[in-house]
Amino acid sequence: MSRAVAITGAGCLCAAGMSLDSSFDSMIRGERKPQPPRSFYSDHTEAYPVFELYDSLPATDVDGELLRTTLLAISATMEAIADAGFIGNELAQLRVGVCIGTTVGSAMNNEEFYSEFRKGADPDMAPIDRYLRSNPAAAIARHYQLDGPCQTVVNACSSGTDAIGIGAAWIRSGYCDIVLAGGADELCRVTYNGFASLMIYDALPVKPFDVHRKGLNLGEGAGIMVLESDKLLAKRKKTPRGYVLGYGSATDAYHLTAPHPDGRGLRRAISEALQTAAVSPEQMAFVNAHGTGTPDNDKVESLVIADLFPGVPFVSTKGYTGHTLGAAGAIEATLTLMCLERQKLPENIGFKTADPQLLIQPVSRVTEIDGTIALSESLAFGGNNSAVVIALERLP
Amino acid sequence: MSAMQINGLGLVGGFGCGRGDLQQALLHGRAPLSHVELRGHSFPLLQADTSPLETYLNKRALRRIDHFSRMALLGAFQAMADAEWSDPDPSRVGLVIGSGYGAMRTTFDFLDSVLDDGDICASPTAFSNSVHNAAAAHISIQLKMTGPSLTISQFDQSLVSGLVSAHQWLSEKRVDAVLLGVVDEYCSVAGYCWERYFNVQDARTMTPLDFTRTSAVAGEGAVFLLLQSDRDTKPRYGSISNVEMGNLSGSQPTTVSSHPLILGCEGSSLSGSVYQKHLAVDQPVACYTPLYGASPVTQGFDLAVAALALRRQQLFPSVDNGGSYYPGKVVNEPQACRKLSCLKYGFNGEYAAIHLERD
Repeated sequence: MSRAVAITGAGCLCAAGMSLDSSFDSMIRGERKPQPPRSFYSDHTEAYPVFELYDSLPATDVDGELLRTTLLAISATMEAIADAGFIGNELAQLRVGVCIGTTVGSAMNNEEFYSEFRKGADPDMAPIDRYLRSNPAAAIARHYQLDGPCQTVVNACSSGTDAIGIGAAWIRSGYCDIVLAGGADELCRVTYNGFASLMIYDALPVKPFDVHRKGLNLGEGAGIMVLESDKLLAKRKKTPRGYVLGYGSATDAYHLTAPHPDGRGLRRAISEALQTAAVSPEQMAFVNAHGTGTPDNDKVESLVIADLFPGVPFVSTKGYTGHTLGAAGAIEATLTLMCLERQKLPENIGFKTADPQLLIQPVSRVTEIDGTIALSESLAFGGNNSAVVIALERLP
Repeated sequence: MSAMQINGLGLVGGFGCGRGDLQQALLHGRAPLSHVELRGHSFPLLQADTSPLETYLNKRALRRIDHFSRMALLGAFQAMADAEWSDPDPSRVGLVIGSGYGAMRTTFDFLDSVLDDGDICASPTAFSNSVHNAAAAHISIQLKMTGPSLTISQFDQSLVSGLVSAHQWLSEKRVDAVLLGVVDEYCSVAGYCWERYFNVQDARTMTPLDFTRTSAVAGEGAVFLLLQSDRDTKPRYGSISNVEMGNLSGSQPTTVSSHPLILGCEGSSLSGSVYQKHLAVDQPVACYTPLYGASPVTQGFDLAVAALALRRQQLFPSVDNGGSYYPGKVVNEPQACRKLSCLKYGFNGEYAAIHLERD
């Protein structure tokens, strides 16, 4: 039995664009617009750049006030569902699971509420009500009146990749007809201050894999895939856009925030993803790297890519989107699919000067690719690592 | 679904620490209620004490580990020890953790650092420990577990959602075993929210089977289980034969009138009305939440009680005897038991059901 799981729809919103197509196109044009945050203030001496969405979100017709993270998730889901060709309440008639990665969307950290509480005041419960209504997986299920399994994955920055891998397993095991899988995260003062406190925030636009890289820039957005069973696919006579061929995840068991220096967990996650996909490293058209632009991440990741994928082109798209945390892996999985469809990679924007300590360099210009299979990988706080193999075709 | 064996149990909560303490609490039908200071008054709490963790880790190792992760570590260490699994390969053990709200105290500690001294003085230690998967990281480091690790935040459905993933991993043979836990903690903000939502400042005795009265007492704690695929050897406790999650708007959990149900009702009239509407009066039920209180971990404790009951093949008498308020059948005497289920409803109609058996 094939382990491949069909992708019949995809949606993405990020600073690069308000849809998957427009995001990809702007990346190919080499556009990026990191700016100081507009949605919140900060008293840092320098305003760190962020990748923020300025357009209004498509998800307006929602039940009650929701966190922005959840609105981003629903907005990307709307695009993905339309892309998959579902209309009206068709989904409500099926066994549909929802698996969404996030970080901010699961954190009860409303500063205004807490500030009032600390002063001994009786703060209004509206922010808590909003938080309780906004669990991303549950809110999507509620919005579309779905009755399948719900899972909000909080594996920090690998959450989006994990959610897609988990969703594919739900389809493969026959547990669901459809899974809406992906990730979402909003820009937030708390995480902005958090990453600044760890001194891994670049005060200039992010430069993944560059010798002068200083750290990440935060972003916001969502990426969602519609994963569908073969049975339903045959019934709907729908041609998939692509397939989730394989998935792997593993833990460093090393440090709370730093990756294992040899990339122990990442190697195992990639190995499992390739094994479950039944593909070899040479078959990869490219690797969509995590590439945060932090000194440690890029060092470890380039070491592993050089070892496991010699000669395979790789790119980090975070120079266009910023680091969208729990959404990152999902946004990058949808972009991986787009790159395969269009047979080209955007340049690894921000990369100008090779780091002599890194054995390999990312693509430095728009690059034609030759192949139908690619790997997208994520590393995370907590030592989580995950990788997903995306393909345009089911393998024989 | 293929069955999952429960072969190890670790727990800490208001009743104490470990299965021995839970069993004693079940036999006596009570647990000691603590009172913590909340904004100048006393707040009743079924509080977890993590000091037994020093049996497993020295004080130096515990220095920067917060209460949330300590509860998780304590549950994890116990479950692995309880399994009496000789020579496990930690790289083949998956880790799944569910939490309703994550490390709340540390989340607010981080906000304290910002509010006290400004953005530039934000605490990096508090930030890195406030991420939901920090407890999983501490466990994987201490137990040298390098397999897949998954942290889930699905409020009251975190356990059942985690069980779905544990089952997937075992059936796909990604791992030989899954260490699955649920953990949630009390903090003063949670206490404030509790009082605003429930208005039960004088609650001392939970009567969760009285679905019209709000009597909830807050709880906290951790429950960990070592799960393995059904094998030739008998499970140490019992097997999970099926897991269901969904919403009453589209489906119903499966119940069998001859199999007792452990209800996860917590003394809230909001969700109580859902139990009232959907429970058959001839369905034997038991409820033990007065031993560990109301929190997203409740169903984890219910599952631990079910595991203990299957091990001794006898269900414990319900802690809430149903008084004159529960119209149905309550298990008020020890009852032979080889099959049973744990069922929890949320006030929006979501349900989580876990079905267990012992051959």
